[in-house]
Amino acid sequence: MIIIIQIVVIVLAGVIAAVTLGNRSTHSGKAWKKIALVLLAISMIIAVIFPEVTNTVAHFVGVGRGADLLLYATVVAFILYALNNYLHQQDQRDALYRLARKVAIIDANERYDVREK
Amino acid sequence: MHTISSWLGHWIAPTSALLLKYNKMSVLVNTDSAIIVPVYNEEQVICSVVESLHKQFKYVVCVDDGSKDGSAYEIKKTKAYLIEHPINMGQGAALQTGIEFASQLPVDYFVTFDADGQHRIEDVQAMLNKIKTDEYDIVLGSRFLGKAIGMRKSKEIILKLAIRFSNATSGIKLTDTHNGLRVFNRHVAETMQITMPDMAHASEILEIIATQNYRYTEVPVTIEYTDYSRAKGQTLINAVNIGFDTLLRKVTK
Repeated sequence: MIIIIQIVVIVLAGVIAAVTLGNRSTHSGKAWKKIALVLLAISMIIAVIFPEVTNTVAHFVGVGRGADLLLYATVVAFILYALNNYLHQQDQRDALYRLARKVAIIDANERYDVREK
Repeated sequence: MHTISSWLGHWIAPTSALLLKYNKMSVLVNTDSAIIVPVYNEEQVICSVVESLHKQFKYVVCVDDGSKDGSAYEIKKTKAYLIEHPINMGQGAALQTGIEFASQLPVDYFVTFDADGQHRIEDVQAMLNKIKTDEYDIVLGSRFLGKAIGMRKSKEIILKLAIRFSNATSGIKLTDTHNGLRVFNRHVAETMQITMPDMAHASEILEIIATQNYRYTEVPVTIEYTDYSRAKGQTLINAVNIGFDTLLRKVTK
């Protein structure tokens, strides 16, 4: 039984990572992220109202306690969040740098007459 | 309306200035290549590096990458083009800016040259000869085919590791993957888009060579380390940043 949770977490983490990071900037990628967020919120509400449910699910996939299952889910979600954030930051940095480059070149072209071809 | 004489004067003046320069120094001044020098906090050496380049090359393009010292002031003393980044963006970003600016100049070849004075101008001439005679798109300098004077053992170990990493990830095999001395033609200048702003650009350039199928070769060059250039070198821990970003780029693209 213990093998189930390992396979589930690793495969799920891999698939989610590939889908979210690969389609980061597309509309469907953004939409899936929102769906995942809503599902996460719903499952959290269920877990709070019916605490035994997490235990049942945990037992089903081979984890001792529901709390452990929640911890695993949190870790996976956090790593994805951190990676997603890092990539998003890099995209923004790229945009900023392209803008700064444009400014630098326009400024230089004003000082020098480079169209002497 | 221009009169004919002023029109003629406009064209003759620069030519005669060039001839004067030619006579004075009895070296042919290269006018078909642009030297691109990314500069970050190099006020001690940049003026002499640029002036020695200017003796042999008409077009020297310095990109000041938001230096905190007087680098921009030092460059303004010379006749080099100065492009100033409003913020510090990294060497890869500075190279891309330099390439985009230099593409506007009436040149056929582009040279990237480190600002700390560790490269030799004779090597640039040899690489230019190579690209002109053998029809390569890009010619890369290799200190391991040539010489690395005063290189510390620790630096050599880092570089050897970087070469292995780069050869494994970029898709082309080289003997020196992190050499700042490169010569390329207009086709490369207009198609290469360096997006990695920091030192990871060296691996990225090799990936671009592989994907764009540029005809490439290596030429032995000499790199002379001084106390100055050693102090400005890369640290081992930064290799972690470069490796992480390079692998992440492969996963997410």
